[in-house]
This record gives sequence, structure tokens and C-alpha cells, in this order.
Amino acid sequence: MNPTITVLVYSSIAAASAALGAIPFRWRDRIPISWIGWANALAAGLMLGTAYVIVVAGLNRMVLAGATGAFLGIGFIYWTHMIARTEDLDLNKLDETGPEYGYQILLVQSLHSASEGVAIGVAMSLNIGLGIFAAIAFAIHNVPEATVLCAVLRARGIRLRDAAGLAVMTNVSLILLAIVTFALIAAVPSLLPWALGFAMGALVYLVMVEPLPESYQQAGHTSIALVTSVAMGIVVLLNGFLR
Amino acid sequence: MQPVILVFIYGLMTALATGLGALPFAFVRAVSRKGVAYANAVASGLMLGACFGLLVEGTESGTWSTIIGANLGILFILGTQRILQRYNVRFGSLGSVGARRTLLMIVVMTVHSFSEGVAVGASFGGGMTLATLITVAIAVHNIPEGLAISAVLRPRGVSVAGCIGWSIFSSLPQPLMAVPAYLFVDAFAPALPYGIGFAAGAMVLMVFLELLPEAYGQARKLTVALLVSISLAAMILFQRLL
Repeated sequence: MNPTITVLVYSSIAAASAALGAIPFRWRDRIPISWIGWANALAAGLMLGTAYVIVVAGLNRMVLAGATGAFLGIGFIYWTHMIARTEDLDLNKLDETGPEYGYQILLVQSLHSASEGVAIGVAMSLNIGLGIFAAIAFAIHNVPEATVLCAVLRARGIRLRDAAGLAVMTNVSLILLAIVTFALIAAVPSLLPWALGFAMGALVYLVMVEPLPESYQQAGHTSIALVTSVAMGIVVLLNGFLR
Repeated sequence: MQPVILVFIYGLMTALATGLGALPFAFVRAVSRKGVAYANAVASGLMLGACFGLLVEGTESGTWSTIIGANLGILFILGTQRILQRYNVRFGSLGSVGARRTLLMIVVMTVHSFSEGVAVGASFGGGMTLATLITVAIAVHNIPEGLAISAVLRPRGVSVAGCIGWSIFSSLPQPLMAVPAYLFVDAFAPALPYGIGFAAGAMVLMVFLELLPEAYGQARKLTVALLVSISLAAMILFQRLL
């Protein structure tokens, strides 16, 4: 298969899996807040694990260019949050919010997915197998993430089908950025260490700013710490077998 | 000189290097509540970065053994935390929550030094050049670990001298483990990935269980995230440059 098609197919799977996050709402109207916390922690752990996988794969290239890339990745997410004025946005407010909250949350989610797209593109450029692994990790990560988004949207009376559709839509930027990153590195291979660092920095920063702080307010610290570490451990384990 | 004594001295030097990490705190006066949160965030980033390095090393010699070790490390921290909670420990002038965190930090970092000591001792099997290289690498990499320990201890009122002392204490298993690891290198080699995994699991859980929740509670999540991710990237860069 043409590698670009592979990137397209697997990043589309990662984006589409967000629809699965709506499934719990078929049976219950509102899911308990602690479940949302665990979903956030699961998403955080999987994302941190994927950042680890990218670091391991690019370790030999990750010296100065990689580190500079990491600082650029962190700075990029930081500044986009600042410009969009969403730096202190609580992504899990279930009630009492104005209409602009809906736009903000969708904007932040799309930005978040864009960084995941860069990570998939980078992983694909290193090695297609690793890219597929990263895409699958993000596909799983997108399910609890979408569950949280659907909980927020459902609380506003949005129909389940539309909530699932919006969750997938916020991940379209993932497909786009995955392909752009992959094509860019194919054209300019010397960008690879920068892109590696960028993806790693952006992923770690996103974990720390989005799913993790919210999760601590939604469930007990011990359960959050356990879910996050175990989710990260599972990715590390799978990566160990892949090598 | 007896080789055993040399191994011990090399291990001791790596332990003393940990104390250097406390020195920046000699120049910082009072630490505010926000300062505690920032220090926690920096310590979290350094520890997560160190774990990335440990996991790479561990999974190279055995994926399952590393993961089993990591699970044991997680259980160990949960158990220690429960025990400390039950007995309402005090540490100097600290209240029970601060004392628990401080003690847990010391326990975690001390336990994680065991596998580093084994690494120092085992490296002597590969000749003096390798041993010197590994010892210098571990000594230098201990400095940010001393920084992480002091970042947790100092804001809670431990003196600078105390921070240096506890930092060195946390690395004392290095000379102690280096000697048996050198003498019985064949017996220690298979246990190494378990030990590395144990250290990584304990450190990751410590970060998510104690350090980060406190940081998020006292400072903006934006600043916490920034400090964690920058110190994590810096730690990885630091380990790569060695």
C-alpha cells in the first residue's frame, strides 16, 4: 500500500473511533462523574504512553534538535491556548455555561487532536509499524475522550447522534495533520528530529493541561493515579513487544 | 587498592553528587504556597523524564520483568502510603499530610537508588573505562534527582543542610548495592530489569498520587503543565547528552 494511504487509513480509524465514546449514553442518560474522571485518566495515561513510545523510537535523533522541537511543541500549545483565551477553560463543565463554551470546547478539542495528528505523522515517518501502533493507541485514547465530550454535550440537550458526530468532527484535524506531517517529513527529512520533539512536547503538555487536572476533581486521587499509571504501563508493555 | 573498596568509593561518589541537587535551594529564601506547587511540578517532570529513561533501559533487558517490577513498585507505594496514613506520621515540624509526602518522597527516591547501585557495581565487570563512564553518568544524573527531592522537602520547611543530607541518604543504596553487585554480578543481572521496573513504577505513581494533585490544587493548571513538560524534556535531553 502507498504509505500516504496507510497514514490516511489509520488516522481515519483513530478519528472515527471517537464515535465509540458515545456508546455508554445509549443505556444511561448521565454517567457518574467518577466514570468521567477515570475516562480522563485513561486518556491521559494512553497519551503519556504514546509520548514515551515516540521518545524511545526517536531517542538517537532526540538530542538538541529534538529538545528544541519539544520546547517549540510546548510553546505552540501554550500560545494557541493563550490566543484562543482558553488557557483556564474547564473542559468538563456539565452545567451553567453560556453558548460560547460550546465553541471553546470544540476548538480546544480540535487543537488537541491536531497534536495527536502530528504525533501519528511523525511515528509513521520513523517506521510504518510504529505509526500504526501510535494510531491505534490514539484510537483507544479517543474513546474515553469522546465519552467526556459527549457527557458535556448531552448535558446541554444535544442529541446522542449529533454528539457522536461532533466528537468525530473534532478529530478531523488529526487526519489532516497526520498526512501533512508525514508528507512534510518525506519532503524534508531533516525535519524529523524537530517533529519528533514537537510531538513529544505537545503530547506531554496536553496531558498535563487537559485530561489530568480535571480528572483529580472527578474521582479519588488513588484511583486516578492507578488508572493513569496502568494505562501508561500497557502502552509501554505493547511497545516492548513491538520492538 | 582493593577493587571492592574502589567499587564502594565510586558508588559513594555518585551518592554525594545527589547532594549537589539541593544547592540551588541555598539561594532561595521563603517558599510560598505557589512555590510548593511549582516545585512539585518540576519534581514531577524530572521524575517522569527519569522514568522514561528507566523504562527504555528495563524493556531492553526484559519487557515482562520490567512491567512486573513496575506493578510491584506501584503496590509498594500504595502500601507505604496506607501505612503512613494510618500512623499519622510527623516529620520535623510538619503536619501529617506534609510529613507523609516528604517521607514518601524520601522512600521512593531511596528505593529507586538500589537498581542504580547495581548498575554501578555490574559495570565494573566491563573494565575500568566502562565503570568510570557509568559512574560519572549516574553521578551527574543524580544531581537533578537531588533537585527533585529538595524541591519537595525544602518548601515544607526542611533546612538546606537537611535537603543535602536527605538527598545523599536517598542515594546511599548505591555504594551499598554496588559492592554485592560487583561481587555476584551473575546473580544480580537477571534481577536488574525487575529492579528498574520497580523504580519506574514507584516514581510514576508517586507523581500521579501525591505530587501532581497538590500542584494542581495550588497553582493554575497552565503553569503546572508548562513546568512539568519543560522539566521532562530537559531531563530526557540531559540523559541523552551523557
